[in-house]
Amino acid sequence: MKRSYVGVAVLAVILFLNIIFTQYMVHQFFYENYVNTLIFCGLNIVLFPIALFAYKKMKNVKA
Amino acid sequence: MPSDKNNKIPFNEDNYTHNIERNNERKLDRRGFMKTLAGAAGVFAVSSLPWGAVAAKELIGLGEKEYPKQKIIDESKLAVGDAFEFKFPGEHDDAIIIRLAEDRYVAYQNACTHLRCPVFWVKEQNQMVCPCHHGFFDVETGAPTAGPPRRPLPEIQVKVENGAIYAVRVKRYEA
Ligand code: FES
Repeated sequence: MKRSYVGVAVLAVILFLNIIFTQYMVHQFFYENYVNTLIFCGLNIVLFPIALFAYKKMKNVKA
Repeated sequence: MPSDKNNKIPFNEDNYTHNIERNNERKLDRRGFMKTLAGAAGVFAVSSLPWGAVAAKELIGLGEKEYPKQKIIDESKLAVGDAFEFKFPGEHDDAIIIRLAEDRYVAYQNACTHLRCPVFWVKEQNQMVCPCHHGFFDVETGAPTAGPPRRPLPEIQVKVENGAIYAVRVKRYEA
């Protein structure tokens, strides 16, 4: 059975971004750049609905 | 007589158990993997919240701590070029004050921003040195100049009143 792995790729990219944003967020927090902390926190949160959307969209897609 | 009632999909649902043909067939298929990834994104989102909350709190100033000003030392007891160690703001927060010129003082919390060793003032080299892993700090700004530390030392605001030096508050990082 052939499948589309686009969804997997998209979600993997999202996970990758999650890791990067978290890293930045924690570092900016300790640098006391609180605005940047908030920005990356927001980005991390926004990624979740995007991930859910990608999952819903792609879970039944077949190549 | 073989019945195929177990092969019927009663209604469209997302529990993906109705078409299992072998044991563990669906343990980690594409969809399950994607579900895990989406879940991970959720975990990341939720675990970001406290950081954001604390950052927001600091931003709107609730985290701005005011300490009662505290006498460090008399001006006359600190010669130009000398340093004196004290505690500010708490009694476990090591700090150091350095008299750079007749009327120029700098004070920092001297726990190294690498692994919190005490940082010393080395007059001959005109810089602050952390002996643990050879971290160096610029005495004028507290910025790290060499070695493992990456963040500046938190600066303490001081003021002179009637010949005595007082610690007023800990400054935020500007960098
Ligand atoms: S603790 Fe200061 S350099 Fe490592």
